[in-house]
Amino acid sequence: MIPSTFLLRLAMALAALLATSGAASAHPHVFAEARLDVVLSPDHQSVKALRHLWRFDELFSSTVLMQFDKNSDLKLDDAELKDVADTIFSSLAEYDYFQLVTVDGKDVHMNAPSQVMTNFDNDQLIVLFESEPATPIKLAGTIEFGVYDPTFYTAIDFTEDANMAVEGLPPTCTRKVIRPDPDTAIAQNQKTLTDAFFNDPTGTDMSKIFATKLELTCKP
Amino acid sequence: MRRGILHAGLALAAAALALHLAGVAHAQSSLGIGTNDAMPTTTGLFAHQLAWINLKQQESYRALAGTMKAMRQDGSKLWVLIGLSFLYGIFHAAGPGHGKAVISSYMVANEVALRRGILLSFISAFLQAVTAIAVMLLAFFVLRGTAVSMTDAAWFLEIASYVFVTAFGAWLLWRKLRPLVVRLFGTAPAYSLSAAQAGPGRAEATTAGRGMVRARLNHPDASPALAFECGQDHAPGTVCADCGHSHIPDPAMLSGDPFDWRTAWSAVAAVGIRPCSGALIVLSFAFLNGLWTGGILSVLAMSVGTAITVAILATLAVTAKDWAVWFAGDGRLGNRVHAVIEIGGAALVFLFGLALLSASLAA
Repeated sequence: MIPSTFLLRLAMALAALLATSGAASAHPHVFAEARLDVVLSPDHQSVKALRHLWRFDELFSSTVLMQFDKNSDLKLDDAELKDVADTIFSSLAEYDYFQLVTVDGKDVHMNAPSQVMTNFDNDQLIVLFESEPATPIKLAGTIEFGVYDPTFYTAIDFTEDANMAVEGLPPTCTRKVIRPDPDTAIAQNQKTLTDAFFNDPTGTDMSKIFATKLELTCKP
Repeated sequence: MRRGILHAGLALAAAALALHLAGVAHAQSSLGIGTNDAMPTTTGLFAHQLAWINLKQQESYRALAGTMKAMRQDGSKLWVLIGLSFLYGIFHAAGPGHGKAVISSYMVANEVALRRGILLSFISAFLQAVTAIAVMLLAFFVLRGTAVSMTDAAWFLEIASYVFVTAFGAWLLWRKLRPLVVRLFGTAPAYSLSAAQAGPGRAEATTAGRGMVRARLNHPDASPALAFECGQDHAPGTVCADCGHSHIPDPAMLSGDPFDWRTAWSAVAAVGIRPCSGALIVLSFAFLNGLWTGGILSVLAMSVGTAITVAILATLAVTAKDWAVWFAGDGRLGNRVHAVIEIGGAALVFLFGLALLSASLAA
Protein backbone atom coordinates (compact mmCIF):
# COMPACT_ATOMS: atom_id res chain seq x y z
CA MET A 1 0.00 0.00 0.00
CA ILE A 2 1.22 3.45 -0.81
CA PRO A 3 0.33 6.29 1.53
CA SER A 4 -2.23 8.52 -0.08
CA THR A 5 -0.17 11.57 0.84
CA PHE A 6 2.45 10.34 -1.56
CA LEU A 7 -0.07 9.98 -4.36
CA LEU A 8 -1.36 13.38 -3.48
CA ARG A 9 2.10 14.85 -3.80
CA LEU A 10 2.59 13.22 -7.18
CA ALA A 11 -0.78 14.40 -8.34
CA MET A 12 0.03 17.91 -7.19
CA ALA A 13 3.31 17.84 -9.09
CA LEU A 14 1.51 16.84 -12.24
CA ALA A 15 -1.22 19.38 -11.65
CA ALA A 16 1.42 22.03 -11.09
CA LEU A 17 3.13 21.20 -14.32
CA LEU A 18 -0.06 21.27 -16.31
CA ALA A 19 -1.28 24.41 -14.62
CA THR A 20 2.00 26.12 -15.39
CA SER A 21 1.67 25.30 -19.02
CA GLY A 22 -1.45 27.39 -19.14
CA ALA A 23 -1.15 30.09 -16.56
CA ALA A 24 1.81 31.72 -18.13
CA SER A 25 2.88 35.23 -18.71
CA ALA A 26 2.82 36.70 -22.14
CA HIS A 27 5.70 38.94 -22.99
CA PRO A 28 5.84 42.21 -24.86
CA HIS A 29 5.95 41.98 -28.60
CA VAL A 30 5.87 45.71 -29.03
CA PHE A 31 8.27 48.24 -27.59
CA ALA A 32 7.71 51.93 -27.35
CA GLU A 33 10.11 54.59 -26.14
CA ALA A 34 7.88 56.86 -24.17
CA ARG A 35 7.82 60.36 -22.87
CA LEU A 36 5.34 61.62 -20.31
CA ASP A 37 4.80 65.31 -19.67
CA VAL A 38 2.77 66.17 -16.62
CA VAL A 39 1.10 69.47 -17.40
CA LEU A 40 0.32 71.66 -14.41
CA SER A 41 -2.40 74.28 -14.11
CA PRO A 42 -1.30 77.91 -14.68
CA ASP A 43 -1.02 78.46 -10.91
CA HIS A 44 1.19 75.35 -10.61
CA GLN A 45 -1.00 73.94 -7.85
CA SER A 46 -2.68 71.05 -9.61
CA VAL A 47 -2.20 68.55 -12.43
CA LYS A 48 -4.16 69.53 -15.50
CA ALA A 49 -3.24 66.86 -18.02
CA LEU A 50 -0.90 64.05 -18.97
CA ARG A 51 0.74 64.32 -22.37
CA HIS A 52 2.00 61.06 -23.85
CA LEU A 53 4.40 60.44 -26.68
CA TRP A 54 5.23 56.90 -27.74
CA ARG A 55 7.79 56.07 -30.39
CA PHE A 56 7.30 52.45 -31.43
CA ASP A 57 10.08 50.07 -32.41
CA GLU A 58 10.82 49.48 -36.07
CA LEU A 59 9.67 45.87 -36.08
CA PHE A 60 6.19 46.63 -34.84
CA SER A 61 6.10 49.76 -36.99
CA SER A 62 6.73 47.62 -40.06
CA THR A 63 3.72 45.45 -39.12
CA VAL A 64 1.63 48.61 -38.89
CA LEU A 65 2.92 49.80 -42.26
CA MET A 66 2.18 46.47 -43.89
CA GLN A 67 -1.30 46.31 -42.46
CA PHE A 68 -2.49 49.88 -43.04
CA ASP A 69 -0.81 50.66 -46.35
CA LYS A 70 -4.04 50.40 -48.38
CA ASN A 71 -2.61 51.83 -51.59
CA SER A 72 0.56 49.73 -51.40
CA ASP A 73 2.97 52.61 -51.82
CA LEU A 74 4.99 51.56 -48.75
CA LYS A 75 4.13 54.86 -47.09
CA LEU A 76 1.36 55.79 -44.70
CA ASP A 77 -0.44 58.88 -45.96
CA ASP A 78 -2.77 60.99 -43.85
CA ALA A 79 -5.88 58.87 -44.38
CA GLU A 80 -3.97 55.68 -43.57
CA LEU A 81 -2.43 57.27 -40.49
CA LYS A 82 -5.91 58.25 -39.36
CA ASP A 83 -6.97 54.59 -39.61
CA VAL A 84 -4.05 53.64 -37.38
CA ALA A 85 -4.98 56.37 -34.90
CA ASP A 86 -8.63 55.29 -34.83
CA THR A 87 -7.72 51.65 -34.27
CA ILE A 88 -5.36 52.46 -31.41
CA PHE A 89 -7.77 55.01 -29.93
CA SER A 90 -10.65 52.57 -29.71
CA SER A 91 -8.49 49.69 -28.46
CA LEU A 92 -6.79 51.69 -25.73
CA ALA A 93 -10.14 52.80 -24.31
CA GLU A 94 -10.58 49.39 -22.75
CA TYR A 95 -7.27 49.73 -20.93
CA ASP A 96 -7.62 53.30 -19.60
CA TYR A 97 -5.10 54.43 -22.21
CA PHE A 98 -2.39 52.57 -20.29
CA GLN A 99 -2.56 55.13 -17.48
CA LEU A 100 -2.67 54.50 -13.78
CA VAL A 101 -2.78 57.56 -11.56
CA THR A 102 -3.09 57.34 -7.80
CA VAL A 103 -3.21 59.94 -5.03
CA ASP A 104 -2.11 58.49 -1.69
CA GLY A 105 -2.78 55.05 -3.09
CA LYS A 106 -6.29 55.81 -4.38
CA ASP A 107 -7.08 55.57 -8.07
CA VAL A 108 -7.85 58.75 -9.92
CA HIS A 109 -10.23 58.59 -12.85
CA MET A 110 -8.76 59.91 -16.09
CA ASN A 111 -10.93 61.15 -18.94
CA ALA A 112 -10.51 59.69 -22.41
CA PRO A 113 -8.32 61.82 -24.67
CA SER A 114 -10.19 63.79 -27.31
CA GLN A 115 -8.08 62.20 -30.00
CA VAL A 116 -4.99 60.14 -30.72
CA MET A 117 -2.49 61.53 -33.21
CA THR A 118 -0.19 59.31 -35.24
CA ASN A 119 2.82 59.95 -37.38
CA PHE A 120 5.46 57.91 -39.17
CA ASP A 121 8.99 59.14 -38.77
CA ASN A 122 12.19 57.36 -39.69
CA ASP A 123 10.36 54.00 -40.07
CA GLN A 124 8.85 54.40 -36.63
CA LEU A 125 5.24 54.86 -35.63
CA ILE A 126 4.67 57.76 -33.27
CA VAL A 127 1.56 58.09 -31.15
CA LEU A 128 0.58 61.22 -29.26
CA PHE A 129 -2.35 61.95 -26.98
CA GLU A 130 -3.36 63.99 -24.00
CA SER A 131 -5.57 62.86 -21.17
CA GLU A 132 -7.03 64.96 -18.35
CA PRO A 133 -8.08 63.87 -14.89
CA ALA A 134 -11.83 63.99 -14.29
CA THR A 135 -11.16 66.64 -11.66
CA PRO A 136 -7.83 68.48 -11.39
CA ILE A 137 -5.41 66.71 -9.05
CA LYS A 138 -4.22 68.99 -6.23
CA LEU A 139 -0.50 68.84 -5.67
CA ALA A 140 -0.66 67.34 -2.17
CA GLY A 141 0.41 64.05 -0.67
CA THR A 142 1.88 61.32 -2.85
CA ILE A 143 0.84 61.27 -6.49
CA GLU A 144 1.92 58.39 -8.70
CA PHE A 145 1.79 58.20 -12.46
CA GLY A 146 2.24 54.84 -14.11
CA VAL A 147 2.14 54.21 -17.85
CA TYR A 148 2.01 50.56 -18.80
CA ASP A 149 0.07 48.00 -20.79
CA PRO A 150 -1.80 45.74 -18.36
CA THR A 151 -1.87 42.98 -20.98
CA PHE A 152 1.92 42.88 -21.32
CA TYR A 153 1.65 43.23 -25.09
CA THR A 154 3.38 46.58 -25.27
CA ALA A 155 6.42 47.53 -23.24
CA ILE A 156 6.29 51.26 -22.57
CA ASP A 157 9.90 52.16 -21.88
CA PHE A 158 11.00 55.36 -20.25
CA THR A 159 14.67 55.05 -21.10
CA GLU A 160 15.74 58.09 -19.08
CA ASP A 161 14.34 59.60 -15.93
CA ALA A 162 14.08 62.92 -17.76
CA ASN A 163 11.43 61.35 -20.00
CA MET A 164 8.95 61.63 -17.16
CA ALA A 165 8.87 65.37 -16.81
CA VAL A 166 6.96 67.97 -14.89
CA GLU A 167 7.34 71.58 -16.05
CA GLY A 168 7.37 74.18 -13.26
CA LEU A 169 7.05 71.89 -10.26
CA PRO A 170 6.76 74.01 -7.09
CA PRO A 171 9.63 73.67 -4.58
CA THR A 172 7.30 72.06 -2.02
CA CYS A 173 7.21 68.96 -4.22
CA THR A 174 9.85 66.36 -4.96
CA ARG A 175 9.90 64.31 -8.12
CA LYS A 176 11.17 60.73 -8.22
CA VAL A 177 11.21 58.12 -10.97
CA ILE A 178 10.74 54.61 -9.59
CA ARG A 179 12.07 51.66 -11.57
CA PRO A 180 11.24 48.44 -9.79
CA ASP A 181 13.84 45.72 -10.11
CA PRO A 182 11.89 42.65 -11.34
CA ASP A 183 13.53 40.21 -8.89
CA THR A 184 13.03 42.45 -5.87
CA ALA A 185 9.51 43.29 -6.93
CA ILE A 186 8.61 39.63 -7.16
CA ALA A 187 10.31 38.76 -3.88
CA GLN A 188 8.52 41.60 -2.11
CA ASN A 189 5.22 40.69 -3.62
CA GLN A 190 5.51 36.91 -3.43
CA LYS A 191 3.23 36.61 -0.44
CA THR A 192 0.77 39.20 -1.65
CA LEU A 193 0.75 37.59 -5.06
CA THR A 194 0.06 34.17 -3.60
CA ASP A 195 -2.67 35.52 -1.33
CA ALA A 196 -4.12 37.52 -4.17
CA PHE A 197 -4.23 34.39 -6.28
CA PHE A 198 -6.42 32.60 -3.75
CA ASN A 199 -8.58 35.60 -2.94
CA ASP A 200 -8.98 36.79 -6.47
CA PRO A 201 -7.95 34.14 -8.96
CA THR A 202 -8.62 36.42 -11.92
CA GLY A 203 -5.34 37.94 -10.92
CA THR A 204 -3.61 41.16 -10.19
CA ASP A 205 -1.40 41.93 -13.09
CA MET A 206 2.29 41.93 -12.67
CA SER A 207 2.82 44.70 -15.19
CA LYS A 208 1.59 47.04 -12.47
CA ILE A 209 4.38 45.93 -10.16
CA PHE A 210 6.99 46.27 -12.88
CA ALA A 211 5.85 49.56 -14.37
CA THR A 212 8.15 52.55 -14.21
CA LYS A 213 6.40 55.22 -12.19
CA LEU A 214 6.73 58.92 -11.61
CA GLU A 215 6.16 59.83 -7.99
CA LEU A 216 5.49 63.35 -6.82
CA THR A 217 5.55 63.99 -3.09
CA CYS A 218 4.23 67.35 -2.02
CA LYS A 219 4.21 68.94 1.40
CA PRO A 220 1.01 70.77 2.21
CA MET B 1 -6.60 4.36 -1.00
CA ARG B 2 -9.64 5.88 -2.55
CA ARG B 3 -8.68 9.13 -0.95
CA GLY B 4 -5.51 9.06 -3.00
CA ILE B 5 -7.53 8.85 -6.18
CA LEU B 6 -9.83 11.51 -4.94
CA HIS B 7 -6.86 13.74 -4.27
CA ALA B 8 -5.36 13.11 -7.65
CA GLY B 9 -8.69 13.95 -9.22
CA LEU B 10 -9.06 17.06 -7.14
CA ALA B 11 -5.58 18.22 -8.00
CA LEU B 12 -6.25 17.78 -11.69
CA ALA B 13 -9.56 19.57 -11.34
CA ALA B 14 -7.74 22.41 -9.59
CA ALA B 15 -5.22 22.53 -12.39
CA ALA B 16 -8.02 22.61 -14.91
CA LEU B 17 -9.67 25.43 -13.01
CA ALA B 18 -6.43 27.35 -12.87
CA LEU B 19 -6.07 26.92 -16.60
CA HIS B 20 -9.61 28.00 -17.17
CA LEU B 21 -9.19 31.15 -15.16
CA ALA B 22 -5.84 31.87 -16.68
CA GLY B 23 -7.47 31.79 -20.06
CA VAL B 24 -9.89 34.55 -19.21
CA ALA B 25 -7.81 37.23 -20.78
CA HIS B 26 -7.69 39.19 -23.93
CA ALA B 27 -6.33 37.30 -26.82
CA GLN B 28 -6.42 40.20 -29.20
CA SER B 29 -3.99 42.94 -28.50
CA SER B 30 -4.39 46.05 -26.42
CA LEU B 31 -3.29 48.24 -29.30
CA GLY B 32 -5.76 46.69 -31.72
CA ILE B 33 -2.92 45.89 -34.10
CA GLY B 34 -1.54 42.36 -34.13
CA THR B 35 -2.61 39.65 -31.73
CA ASN B 36 -1.29 39.12 -28.25
CA ASP B 37 -0.03 35.70 -27.24
CA ALA B 38 -2.78 35.42 -24.62
CA MET B 39 -2.87 35.08 -20.91
CA PRO B 40 -1.20 37.80 -18.91
CA THR B 41 -2.12 36.19 -15.62
CA THR B 42 1.00 36.13 -13.57
CA THR B 43 -0.06 35.69 -10.00
CA GLY B 44 -0.10 32.45 -8.14
CA LEU B 45 2.16 29.70 -7.09
CA PHE B 46 4.70 29.95 -9.87
CA ALA B 47 4.99 33.71 -10.08
CA HIS B 48 8.71 33.72 -9.46
CA GLN B 49 9.60 31.12 -12.10
CA LEU B 50 7.27 32.74 -14.58
CA ALA B 51 8.74 36.15 -13.93
CA TRP B 52 12.19 34.77 -14.65
CA ILE B 53 10.97 33.20 -17.89
CA ASN B 54 9.27 36.44 -18.77
CA LEU B 55 12.49 38.35 -18.23
CA LYS B 56 14.42 35.93 -20.46
CA GLN B 57 11.73 36.16 -23.13
CA GLN B 58 11.99 39.92 -23.14
CA GLU B 59 15.77 39.87 -23.25
CA SER B 60 15.93 37.38 -26.09
CA TYR B 61 13.19 39.13 -28.05
CA ARG B 62 14.87 42.51 -27.67
CA ALA B 63 18.20 41.05 -28.74
CA LEU B 64 16.51 39.36 -31.69
CA ALA B 65 14.81 42.60 -32.73
CA GLY B 66 18.11 44.46 -32.43
CA THR B 67 19.94 41.93 -34.61
CA MET B 68 17.18 42.04 -37.18
CA LYS B 69 17.66 45.79 -37.49
CA ALA B 70 21.44 45.40 -37.69
CA MET B 71 20.96 42.87 -40.52
CA ARG B 72 19.90 45.69 -42.81
CA GLN B 73 23.44 47.03 -42.84
CA ASP B 74 25.39 43.88 -42.08
CA GLY B 75 24.33 40.59 -43.64
CA SER B 76 27.00 38.66 -41.76
CA LYS B 77 24.81 38.80 -38.65
CA LEU B 78 22.73 35.93 -40.05
CA TRP B 79 24.16 33.31 -37.69
CA VAL B 80 23.73 35.57 -34.70
CA LEU B 81 20.13 36.03 -35.78
CA ILE B 82 19.56 32.30 -36.11
CA GLY B 83 21.11 31.65 -32.70
CA LEU B 84 19.02 34.32 -31.01
CA SER B 85 15.86 33.11 -32.73
CA PHE B 86 16.57 29.62 -31.42
CA LEU B 87 17.01 30.93 -27.86
CA TYR B 88 13.89 33.03 -28.19
CA GLY B 89 11.98 29.93 -29.29
CA ILE B 90 13.12 28.03 -26.20
CA PHE B 91 12.08 30.75 -23.76
CA HIS B 92 9.00 31.67 -25.68
CA ALA B 93 7.56 28.17 -25.43
CA ALA B 94 8.35 28.01 -21.72
CA GLY B 95 6.03 30.92 -21.15
CA PRO B 96 2.69 31.45 -22.80
CA GLY B 97 1.05 29.46 -25.49
CA HIS B 98 -1.35 26.67 -26.00
CA GLY B 99 1.02 24.40 -27.89
CA LYS B 100 2.68 22.62 -25.03
CA ALA B 101 -0.53 22.42 -23.00
CA VAL B 102 -2.32 20.66 -25.82
CA ILE B 103 0.56 18.38 -26.75
CA SER B 104 1.33 17.46 -23.11
CA SER B 105 -2.30 16.83 -22.23
CA TYR B 106 -2.79 14.82 -25.38
CA MET B 107 0.21 12.68 -24.49
CA VAL B 108 -1.03 12.26 -20.92
CA ALA B 109 -4.48 11.28 -22.15
CA ASN B 110 -3.09 8.73 -24.57
CA GLU B 111 -0.48 6.08 -24.48
CA VAL B 112 1.98 7.75 -26.77
CA ALA B 113 5.56 6.62 -26.95
CA LEU B 114 7.84 9.44 -25.87
CA ARG B 115 9.79 9.32 -29.09
CA ARG B 116 6.61 9.90 -31.05
CA GLY B 117 5.52 12.63 -28.67
CA ILE B 118 8.78 14.42 -29.28
CA LEU B 119 8.28 14.03 -33.01
CA LEU B 120 4.80 15.55 -32.64
CA SER B 121 6.27 18.52 -30.76
CA PHE B 122 8.63 19.15 -33.64
CA ILE B 123 6.02 18.75 -36.35
CA SER B 124 3.57 21.10 -34.64
CA ALA B 125 6.23 23.74 -34.02
CA PHE B 126 7.37 23.45 -37.63
CA LEU B 127 3.80 23.77 -38.86
CA GLN B 128 3.42 26.90 -36.77
CA ALA B 129 6.48 28.40 -38.45
CA VAL B 130 5.17 27.47 -41.88
CA THR B 131 1.79 29.06 -41.08
CA ALA B 132 3.50 32.27 -39.98
CA ILE B 133 5.53 32.38 -43.20
CA ALA B 134 2.46 31.65 -45.32
CA VAL B 135 0.37 34.33 -43.57
CA MET B 136 3.11 36.88 -44.01
CA LEU B 137 3.68 36.05 -47.68
CA LEU B 138 -0.06 36.38 -48.17
CA ALA B 139 -0.12 39.67 -46.29
CA PHE B 140 2.81 41.00 -48.27
CA PHE B 141 1.77 39.97 -51.76
CA VAL B 142 -1.98 39.57 -51.65
CA LEU B 143 -3.64 41.28 -48.72
CA ARG B 144 -1.85 44.61 -49.00
CA GLY B 145 -4.28 47.09 -50.47
CA THR B 146 -7.31 44.96 -49.64
CA ALA B 147 -9.84 45.35 -46.86
CA VAL B 148 -8.60 42.20 -45.15
CA SER B 149 -5.93 43.09 -42.64
CA MET B 150 -3.18 40.90 -41.34
CA THR B 151 -4.68 41.20 -37.86
CA ASP B 152 -7.92 39.77 -39.27
CA ALA B 153 -6.11 36.87 -40.89
CA ALA B 154 -4.12 36.08 -37.76
CA TRP B 155 -7.23 36.39 -35.64
CA PHE B 156 -9.17 34.05 -37.92
CA LEU B 157 -6.44 31.42 -37.66
CA GLU B 158 -6.34 31.88 -33.91
CA ILE B 159 -10.07 31.28 -33.56
CA ALA B 160 -9.85 28.31 -35.92
CA SER B 161 -7.04 26.87 -33.82
CA TYR B 162 -8.99 27.27 -30.58
CA VAL B 163 -12.11 25.72 -32.13
CA PHE B 164 -9.95 22.77 -33.19
CA VAL B 165 -8.43 22.46 -29.73
CA THR B 166 -11.87 22.54 -28.09
CA ALA B 167 -13.37 20.03 -30.51
CA PHE B 168 -10.30 17.82 -30.19
CA GLY B 169 -10.54 17.95 -26.40
CA ALA B 170 -14.26 17.15 -26.46
CA TRP B 171 -13.64 14.20 -28.75
CA LEU B 172 -10.75 12.95 -26.63
CA LEU B 173 -12.85 13.28 -23.50
CA TRP B 174 -15.77 11.46 -25.08
CA ARG B 175 -13.52 8.64 -26.15
CA LYS B 176 -12.16 8.32 -22.61
CA LEU B 177 -15.54 8.61 -20.91
CA ARG B 178 -17.65 6.52 -23.26
CA PRO B 179 -16.59 3.16 -21.80
CA LEU B 180 -17.44 4.45 -18.33
CA VAL B 181 -20.86 5.55 -19.49
CA VAL B 182 -21.40 2.24 -21.21
CA ARG B 183 -20.31 0.39 -18.09
CA LEU B 184 -22.65 2.38 -15.91
CA PHE B 185 -25.72 2.27 -18.07
CA GLY B 186 -25.17 -0.34 -20.71
CA THR B 187 -24.78 -4.05 -20.92
CA ALA B 188 -21.45 -4.10 -22.67
CA PRO B 189 -18.73 -5.94 -20.78
CA ALA B 190 -16.52 -3.76 -18.67
CA TYR B 191 -13.04 -3.33 -19.96
CA SER B 192 -10.21 -1.00 -19.29
CA LEU B 193 -10.20 1.96 -21.55
CA SER B 194 -6.55 2.47 -21.04
CA ALA B 195 -4.43 1.36 -23.90
CA ALA B 196 -1.85 0.08 -21.45
CA GLN B 197 -4.21 -2.68 -20.40
CA ALA B 198 -4.25 -5.48 -22.85
CA GLY B 199 -7.90 -6.31 -22.96
CA PRO B 200 -9.29 -9.69 -23.86
CA GLY B 201 -10.52 -8.34 -27.16
CA ARG B 202 -7.09 -7.23 -28.21
CA ALA B 203 -5.79 -8.60 -31.43
CA GLU B 204 -3.33 -7.63 -34.03
CA ALA B 205 -4.29 -7.21 -37.60
CA THR B 206 -1.56 -6.87 -40.09
CA THR B 207 -2.90 -5.62 -43.34
CA ALA B 208 -1.98 -7.41 -46.48
CA GLY B 209 0.98 -5.92 -48.23
CA ARG B 210 1.29 -3.22 -45.59
CA GLY B 211 3.15 -4.95 -42.88
CA MET B 212 4.23 -1.62 -41.50
CA VAL B 213 0.72 -0.57 -40.61
CA ARG B 214 -0.31 -2.43 -37.54
CA ALA B 215 -3.70 -2.00 -36.10
CA ARG B 216 -3.85 -2.98 -32.49
CA LEU B 217 -7.43 -3.55 -31.56
CA ASN B 218 -8.43 -3.65 -27.98
CA HIS B 219 -11.92 -2.60 -28.77
CA PRO B 220 -14.22 -5.53 -28.16
CA ASP B 221 -16.83 -4.20 -30.57
CA ALA B 222 -14.42 -4.02 -33.44
CA SER B 223 -14.10 -7.48 -34.79
CA PRO B 224 -10.49 -8.53 -34.93
CA ALA B 225 -11.45 -10.41 -38.04
CA LEU B 226 -12.58 -7.28 -39.81
CA ALA B 227 -9.43 -6.99 -41.80
CA PHE B 228 -9.51 -10.63 -42.70
CA GLU B 229 -13.18 -11.38 -43.09
CA CYS B 230 -13.12 -11.07 -46.83
CA GLY B 231 -10.12 -13.24 -47.25
CA GLN B 232 -6.61 -12.60 -48.47
CA ASP B 233 -7.15 -13.25 -52.15
CA HIS B 234 -6.75 -9.79 -53.54
CA ALA B 235 -3.99 -7.36 -54.26
CA PRO B 236 -2.52 -5.33 -51.44
CA GLY B 237 -4.06 -1.93 -50.92
CA THR B 238 -7.11 -2.59 -53.04
CA VAL B 239 -10.63 -2.40 -51.78
CA CYS B 240 -12.16 -5.75 -51.15
CA ALA B 241 -15.21 -6.19 -53.35
CA ASP B 242 -17.06 -8.31 -50.84
CA CYS B 243 -17.03 -6.06 -47.85
CA GLY B 244 -16.08 -2.70 -49.27
CA HIS B 245 -13.31 -2.22 -46.76
CA SER B 246 -10.01 -0.88 -47.82
CA HIS B 247 -7.17 -2.83 -46.38
CA ILE B 248 -5.68 0.23 -44.89
CA PRO B 249 -7.12 0.14 -41.38
CA ASP B 250 -10.14 2.31 -41.03
CA PRO B 251 -9.40 5.14 -38.59
CA ALA B 252 -12.39 4.14 -36.48
CA MET B 253 -10.77 0.76 -35.97
CA LEU B 254 -7.72 2.45 -34.65
CA SER B 255 -9.49 4.24 -31.82
CA GLY B 256 -7.88 1.99 -29.27
CA ASP B 257 -4.55 2.07 -30.96
CA PRO B 258 -1.52 2.90 -28.83
CA PHE B 259 -0.62 5.34 -31.52
CA ASP B 260 -3.21 6.77 -33.77
CA TRP B 261 -1.86 9.04 -36.48
CA ARG B 262 -5.21 10.62 -37.17
CA THR B 263 -5.52 11.77 -33.56
CA ALA B 264 -1.92 12.88 -33.58
CA TRP B 265 -2.42 14.95 -36.71
CA SER B 266 -5.48 16.59 -35.18
CA ALA B 267 -3.36 17.64 -32.21
CA VAL B 268 -0.61 18.91 -34.50
CA ALA B 269 -3.02 20.84 -36.71
CA ALA B 270 -4.91 22.32 -33.79
CA VAL B 271 -1.67 23.70 -32.42
CA GLY B 272 0.08 24.53 -35.65
CA ILE B 273 -2.41 26.69 -37.51
CA ARG B 274 -2.08 29.56 -35.07
CA PRO B 275 0.98 31.63 -36.00
CA CYS B 276 2.79 33.21 -33.09
CA SER B 277 2.81 36.99 -33.09
CA GLY B 278 6.53 37.28 -32.45
CA ALA B 279 7.17 35.39 -35.67
CA LEU B 280 4.72 37.57 -37.59
CA ILE B 281 6.31 40.79 -36.40
CA VAL B 282 9.83 39.60 -37.19
CA LEU B 283 8.72 38.44 -40.64
CA SER B 284 6.94 41.66 -41.55
CA PHE B 285 10.06 43.64 -40.76
CA ALA B 286 12.25 41.16 -42.63
CA PHE B 287 10.07 41.16 -45.75
CA LEU B 288 9.69 44.93 -45.86
CA ASN B 289 13.46 45.26 -45.69
CA GLY B 290 14.13 42.53 -48.21
CA LEU B 291 15.70 40.19 -45.63
CA TRP B 292 13.91 37.14 -47.05
CA THR B 293 16.42 34.47 -46.05
CA GLY B 294 17.03 36.01 -42.64
CA GLY B 295 13.33 36.24 -41.82
CA ILE B 296 12.47 32.72 -42.87
CA LEU B 297 15.52 31.13 -41.23
CA SER B 298 14.84 33.10 -38.06
CA VAL B 299 11.29 31.78 -37.81
CA LEU B 300 12.41 28.23 -38.53
CA ALA B 301 15.10 28.49 -35.84
CA MET B 302 12.43 29.76 -33.44
CA SER B 303 10.33 26.69 -34.15
CA VAL B 304 13.24 24.37 -33.37
CA GLY B 305 13.71 26.10 -30.01
CA THR B 306 9.98 25.95 -29.31
CA ALA B 307 9.85 22.26 -30.19
CA ILE B 308 12.65 21.45 -27.75
CA THR B 309 10.86 23.13 -24.85
CA VAL B 310 7.50 21.58 -25.72
CA ALA B 311 9.13 18.15 -26.01
CA ILE B 312 10.79 18.54 -22.59
CA LEU B 313 7.56 19.62 -20.92
CA ALA B 314 5.55 16.87 -22.58
CA THR B 315 8.17 14.33 -21.48
CA LEU B 316 7.91 15.59 -17.90
CA ALA B 317 4.13 15.30 -17.97
CA VAL B 318 4.21 11.75 -19.29
CA THR B 319 6.95 10.72 -16.86
CA ALA B 320 4.94 12.09 -13.94
CA LYS B 321 1.95 10.12 -15.11
CA ASP B 322 3.95 6.93 -15.47
CA TRP B 323 5.31 7.35 -11.95
CA ALA B 324 1.87 7.88 -10.51
CA VAL B 325 0.60 4.75 -12.24
CA TRP B 326 3.68 2.76 -11.28
CA PHE B 327 3.42 3.72 -7.61
CA ALA B 328 -0.24 2.87 -7.56
CA GLY B 329 0.65 -0.63 -8.68
CA ASP B 330 -0.90 -3.08 -11.09
CA GLY B 331 -4.17 -3.64 -9.34
CA ARG B 332 -7.48 -1.87 -9.51
CA LEU B 333 -5.97 1.22 -7.94
CA GLY B 334 -3.39 1.45 -10.68
CA ASN B 335 -6.07 1.17 -13.31
CA ARG B 336 -8.12 3.84 -11.65
CA VAL B 337 -5.23 6.25 -11.24
CA HIS B 338 -4.43 5.65 -14.87
CA ALA B 339 -8.01 6.26 -15.96
CA VAL B 340 -8.38 9.38 -13.82
CA ILE B 341 -5.17 10.88 -15.18
CA GLU B 342 -6.11 10.10 -18.76
CA ILE B 343 -9.58 11.56 -18.38
CA GLY B 344 -8.05 14.55 -16.61
CA GLY B 345 -5.67 15.07 -19.52
CA ALA B 346 -8.51 14.96 -22.03
CA ALA B 347 -10.57 17.31 -19.85
CA LEU B 348 -7.65 19.74 -19.73
CA VAL B 349 -7.43 19.94 -23.51
CA PHE B 350 -11.16 20.59 -23.69
CA LEU B 351 -11.25 23.23 -20.96
CA PHE B 352 -8.14 24.86 -22.30
CA GLY B 353 -9.63 25.19 -25.77
CA LEU B 354 -12.88 26.49 -24.33
CA ALA B 355 -11.13 29.09 -22.19
CA LEU B 356 -8.98 30.34 -25.06
CA LEU B 357 -11.90 30.40 -27.43
CA SER B 358 -14.20 32.32 -25.10
CA ALA B 359 -11.42 34.78 -24.33
CA SER B 360 -10.72 35.36 -28.02
CA LEU B 361 -14.33 35.80 -28.94
CA ALA B 362 -14.96 38.14 -26.03
CA ALA B 363 -11.99 40.32 -26.90
